[in-house]
Amino acid sequence: MSSFFEEYEGYPNYEKMATHDEAHGKVIRKKLWMVFWIMLIVTLIELFIGYKYSESLGEINKEYLFIFLTIAKAFFIVFVFMHLGDEKKALKYVIIAPYTLFIFYLAFMAITEGAYTWHIKDAISTVLMHQ
Amino acid sequence: MSNQATAVPLRKDWDGGVSPFGVSYGKLFMWFFLVSDALTFSSLLCAYGFMRHKFTGEWAHPNEVFHHFPFVTREMPLAYVGFMTFDLIMSSVTMVLAVEAGHRKNRKQVMMWLFFTIIGGFIFVGSQCWEWYHFITGPELSATYHGVYRDYIMNGQHIINPHFTGANLVVNSYTMLPTFGDFFFCITGFHGFHVFSGVIINIIMLIMVANGVMDNRGHYEMIEKAGLYWHFVDLVWVFVFTFFYLL
Repeated sequence: MSSFFEEYEGYPNYEKMATHDEAHGKVIRKKLWMVFWIMLIVTLIELFIGYKYSESLGEINKEYLFIFLTIAKAFFIVFVFMHLGDEKKALKYVIIAPYTLFIFYLAFMAITEGAYTWHIKDAISTVLMHQ
Repeated sequence: MSNQATAVPLRKDWDGGVSPFGVSYGKLFMWFFLVSDALTFSSLLCAYGFMRHKFTGEWAHPNEVFHHFPFVTREMPLAYVGFMTFDLIMSSVTMVLAVEAGHRKNRKQVMMWLFFTIIGGFIFVGSQCWEWYHFITGPELSATYHGVYRDYIMNGQHIINPHFTGANLVVNSYTMLPTFGDFFFCITGFHGFHVFSGVIINIIMLIMVANGVMDNRGHYEMIEKAGLYWHFVDLVWVFVFTFFYLL
């Protein structure tokens, strides 16, 4: 594949452009370990809440809290560990935007339909019995 | 010739001749593959969400199902799966450190961090096997083990085993719903297979780095692409962990 692009004069060699020196590496490593500690603490909070307060916290509150913490962790993984935060705006949007749009819609549909099916469960069984 | 090429001013993003995304061909398509794979996992998890809301109140409580810990007889809910999450986050960090060392073209450090990542991956796959084993054989394995069949035919008689514990694809002792076991096997199995293939990819990367393939190429981008896949596996686990074990 690379030979195909090398035919264009001045096509940047992106593979070789992603480098940094020792001093910059130190800064990056510090940031990575920082993110590791944040993620560890978030996970410990999740486990603590799940273990201690799974009953006392309301079911809906618990769901929203866990989903918020999970998306926070996902943000750190994608934007720091996978370096999406350092990429160009075009790449960021082309990865994140279609995916988020589709999945939020799908999750909304699936959960709404599921809850609705639960609500009309008795009605369905009554109808089936009288047929 | 080469001097002339550098003298040409850099073209704008969408004028052609440069990548509008500022990344190489391989990395861009690794991202696209990960998006499609993420859609697969998301649809599985959305189906899981549908079933859970459809059977509100009948679903098994995760704290009562997953409470085993190796060498500990008393119940410890969430402890082992917490360890598994820690292990995967830790191996994610070692992987990103391998990528960072690759940017500095430091072969020794890349190999060291890749090695730790592989170890972390193997620990995770082994933990998942252990988790599955206890899910399949059931909670009262040490006290009374009566086999994994709920009902069977013996001497022409249909016998229902009242001591059935555990789970399979047809029935499980945690709830009345077979879907509970089916979703667990399907989604964690699919994720475990991803982890396993990620470990294999990392082993191949380690061998390639050890043989000096990356040094001959002059760049360590292959490590970055393998790293993207490995972080994606971690990303999926974060969601599986929340929806299966916490909620």
